[in-house]
Amino acid sequence: MSAINNNCEYISKKQIKITFDGKTYQAYEGDTIASALLRNNIRLVGRSFKYHRPRGIYTCGIEEPNALVQIISEHNEPNTRATIKRVYDGMEITSQNRWPSLRYDFGAINNILSPIFSAGFYYKTFMGPKGFWKNIYEPLIRRSAGLGKPPKNFRSKSTHQYHNTDVVIIGGGLSGLVAAKKFINTKYKVLLIEQDSYLGGILKNSNKVKTINGLIPQEWISETEEQIFNSKNITILKNTLVTTYNFTNHLIALEDKCAGKKIDLNKPELTLHKIRTSNTIIANGHIERFISFRNNDLPGVMLASSFEKYIHRYGVVPEKEPVIFTNNSSSLSLLKTLISLGCKPKAYVDSRKKDNIETEIKKILKEKDILFFSDAEIEGCDGNKKVETITIRQGKTFSKIKSPMLCVSGGYNPDIHLFTQSKGLVKWDKNILSFKPDTPFQKTITLGSTSGNYNFKKLCDEINEKLSILKTKKVLLDINLNVPNKFSIKELWETKKKRISRWSKSFIDLHNDVTTKDLRQAITEGFDRIEHLKRYTTNSMGTDQGKISSINSLAIVSKMLKKEISEVGTTTYRPPYAPLSFAAIAGRSTYEFYDPERKTSIHSWHLKNNAIFEDVGQWKRPWYFKTYENETMHQAVQRESKMLRENAGILDGSTLGKIEIKGRDALEFVNLMYTNAFSKMKPMTSRYAMMLGEDGMIKDDGIICKISDQHFIATTTSSGAPKVLADMEEYLQTEWPHLQVYLNSITEQFSTFNISGPKTREIMMKVFPDIDFSNDAFPFMTFKNFDYKETKIRIMRASFTGELGYEIYITPKFGLDLWEEIFSCGKEFNLIPYGTETMHLLRAEKGYIVIGQETDGTVTPIDLNYNWMIGKNKKDFIGKRSLSRPDTSREDRKQLVGLSPINKKDIIEEGQHIVELNELPKKITNPIKYLGHVSSGYHSPNLNHSIGLAMIRGGKNLLGQKFFVTATGKTKNIPVEIVNPVFIDPENKRLTS
Amino acid sequence: MILIKCPYCGERDQSEFTSGGEAHVVRPKNPDSLSDKDWGEYVFYRNNPKGIFYERWVHSHGCKKWFNAVRNTSTDQILKVYKVNEKRPDFSDFENTLKSPSGEPSVGSGNFAVKK
Repeated sequence: MSAINNNCEYISKKQIKITFDGKTYQAYEGDTIASALLRNNIRLVGRSFKYHRPRGIYTCGIEEPNALVQIISEHNEPNTRATIKRVYDGMEITSQNRWPSLRYDFGAINNILSPIFSAGFYYKTFMGPKGFWKNIYEPLIRRSAGLGKPPKNFRSKSTHQYHNTDVVIIGGGLSGLVAAKKFINTKYKVLLIEQDSYLGGILKNSNKVKTINGLIPQEWISETEEQIFNSKNITILKNTLVTTYNFTNHLIALEDKCAGKKIDLNKPELTLHKIRTSNTIIANGHIERFISFRNNDLPGVMLASSFEKYIHRYGVVPEKEPVIFTNNSSSLSLLKTLISLGCKPKAYVDSRKKDNIETEIKKILKEKDILFFSDAEIEGCDGNKKVETITIRQGKTFSKIKSPMLCVSGGYNPDIHLFTQSKGLVKWDKNILSFKPDTPFQKTITLGSTSGNYNFKKLCDEINEKLSILKTKKVLLDINLNVPNKFSIKELWETKKKRISRWSKSFIDLHNDVTTKDLRQAITEGFDRIEHLKRYTTNSMGTDQGKISSINSLAIVSKMLKKEISEVGTTTYRPPYAPLSFAAIAGRSTYEFYDPERKTSIHSWHLKNNAIFEDVGQWKRPWYFKTYENETMHQAVQRESKMLRENAGILDGSTLGKIEIKGRDALEFVNLMYTNAFSKMKPMTSRYAMMLGEDGMIKDDGIICKISDQHFIATTTSSGAPKVLADMEEYLQTEWPHLQVYLNSITEQFSTFNISGPKTREIMMKVFPDIDFSNDAFPFMTFKNFDYKETKIRIMRASFTGELGYEIYITPKFGLDLWEEIFSCGKEFNLIPYGTETMHLLRAEKGYIVIGQETDGTVTPIDLNYNWMIGKNKKDFIGKRSLSRPDTSREDRKQLVGLSPINKKDIIEEGQHIVELNELPKKITNPIKYLGHVSSGYHSPNLNHSIGLAMIRGGKNLLGQKFFVTATGKTKNIPVEIVNPVFIDPENKRLTS
Repeated sequence: MILIKCPYCGERDQSEFTSGGEAHVVRPKNPDSLSDKDWGEYVFYRNNPKGIFYERWVHSHGCKKWFNAVRNTSTDQILKVYKVNEKRPDFSDFENTLKSPSGEPSVGSGNFAVKK
């Protein structure tokens, strides 16, 4: 028995070659992987997730739970649904989750061991001992369970596209096309979205409709598509799947730009459409569901409408003599299709009573002499990696039939996924035995089978009525059918097993290998809420999200709980509707486009001089400079630090945030935002200042330059600048709108250089011979403006290293020129460039803090001994009141101290804990008393030993005491002495020299 | 992702805005005169209702202006947008709006997608 080709105009006659698991097969252009494999009589395509059971192609679309494959020729793309992925010449495909081969899979031993793998197996079994989960269980489970392997060497070129429309029609099937017709040449901007490469839906997938308005379906589709295409207000998107329905009619749809084509490495393969619409029309149809019976997962079992879709849509008859098993009237269409092709089903099994079965079915079966079982069901099927024998129960008698394929129809579910994502309410419909949309929450209209209307004759009226709220045209439809107009169904979710075998299973979720027995067990164990049950059994949690089975499981569970289905409720439908590639979500925001890189005007010089960069916010800052090939970071930093304290060094500080504060009330504003007192400050002086949160904790620091009472410039940390500006704006707009102050970010308007070291003055005098840099003329924390060549510069006497230092501000246009000029002048004084790491080391030697290193959002200025920065006589500033809260007044708060090792060779590491024990016990049973942590730790080349800054409980009162610091990988701790955090020049002689 | 109507620029995507938490929490004029408890309530305590909520937003990737909005936190509908200096709209203005997408109770969450 083998597949035969059917004439089909959706498939081209062009033959192409594909490979599956290394073997080459013939396919037609337009085939999906599944239709190509069926054409070649391949029924076994994969192994299941947990039990490694052989699996075949179950459906013909997005709902596929089994046929997931790996596409080797597309950077190893895993878990691709064979039923929707289109083939192209040279496509390389492999099966998944099997070793060594698909036919002989070692993991199939899980099926034999399956009695122990029941619901909740992982939770119950992999409990202890400690460490086993991480080292043994998890790697083991990850290797044996699961699906494809991750892609390699993948760089996506996906793009995003935005739409603003009046109407979106989801689904280009019969209902969608009729709806679109109503909008032809209207004032509405309409987007018609179809997941397939052809419009038509049920019209091209089945034999149900004979004629529409006198035309055969194909002609009607072409005619309608042409009309829609010619209407300027309607855009058609094909190969596009709506995956997400968010609030305020925001939809996300994924377009496959390479459907049926080899991926072009220079073009986007996916487009993510982000759509805002005023009205959404959901017409994405229905999904057939299966029925649970013994071994309902064997390759060869397929949904009836999918079987029919392969014949009409892809021109392949998977099998000439299948058995048909149904509980409803829809399978007549398949029966008639097979007969018209000269095929003859082996048997027709209908669970409905003979009287309830349509006379036309009975007539055909009788005429063609086909075995007919009414009021009967499939007990199960058996076979080795495929369906061989099918057992039918009719009353108390059992019949066995040999057939390689079994077509199953358990009824149809309106595809309510998107509707429930939109927060619409659904309601159980007893006539179709499924949930259908009831009350929409947004401007959502459901049409056709999505709305639970399975009656073709009523379709036109439904569409005309539901769209009457919009100004559209009236459409007339005259539909002639091949099938009965009335839908009839008998409730059947699971058939009774004749014998119980440990290896035969009746599945409820094919993707995640959940059996109906698992559902029963979970309920017995008390998981009787549907959301709990879902998570405990993993039912409907696979990549198919239980599209063909979730309603069945609700029904089975409701029977077990003796409740109505609507009482049991559904699990939550969450986006995406179908798996959505991360590449599509990321779009162009990958690699260098992920986040902007900000570079200073000196960047090219840094590159030339072998700077190693550090990311600070979005900025690229030199971390340290390499002077020779093998110089390590430690060596470079030690060299830079020593050279600076002996001679001079220069740092590119352009990244520091700069905010201009101007206006009538600038002084009052600065006084409110910062802790310090600015009123008595003289113009053209500057001050180190701190900004707190309302909770009293330090948020940011910087130097405030006062030009006048109406004009200040505040510097901020490099990464804190946007937040500080936003916070200032917030207070100005919301709390103090009466203050007349204007803020402006001027970070990028200036290149800033920090030059410091004992020889700085000599260098400055050489670069700027006309300026008096003497202590009297240019004291510490003052600044002046000067003309320099054709521009202006501002020089400020300030330092972050503890040495004599100046900061130079110049427009970036001339930044590099000046930087180079300083170097040519500084050469004779051994001026060096230094990076952020040396800056951190030098400031730690001096006991200066860094925001985010010593502070972590729980530190007040008092904790740092920075009481001098607090303007106590100011009536108010942000955070002032909080400095006297009971918590901030505690004596045992963590406070800043210095650490000096008692044995000068010991190294104090950043992040280590400070404890009272000289040695940690080998096995820690009781908590060890923790005093604090090392916030900064460096080897000081100037003191020639390790130093540390630490935040220690009650640290201010512990000066001179001995404690211990833990060390990486050792139980022996390092003895340290608590010292003043200022290690170098506590009298500030160097600073003010 | 919801749409927010900036009172200065018009309707824009949520991604252009930053939420600023509860609105109408006024910074006390004389913090020093407040008890620890009262000051603590100003700094740390905010309402988090299910339902109608007065909140602040800033059009951070736009005009950078702060404004107030009344949002139903259970349906995410923005019921009113007004400038900082405008009067706080009355709670009773919104009492007749939809309480929740699926009629679930006023406290707690859960899945109530099925109509009984």
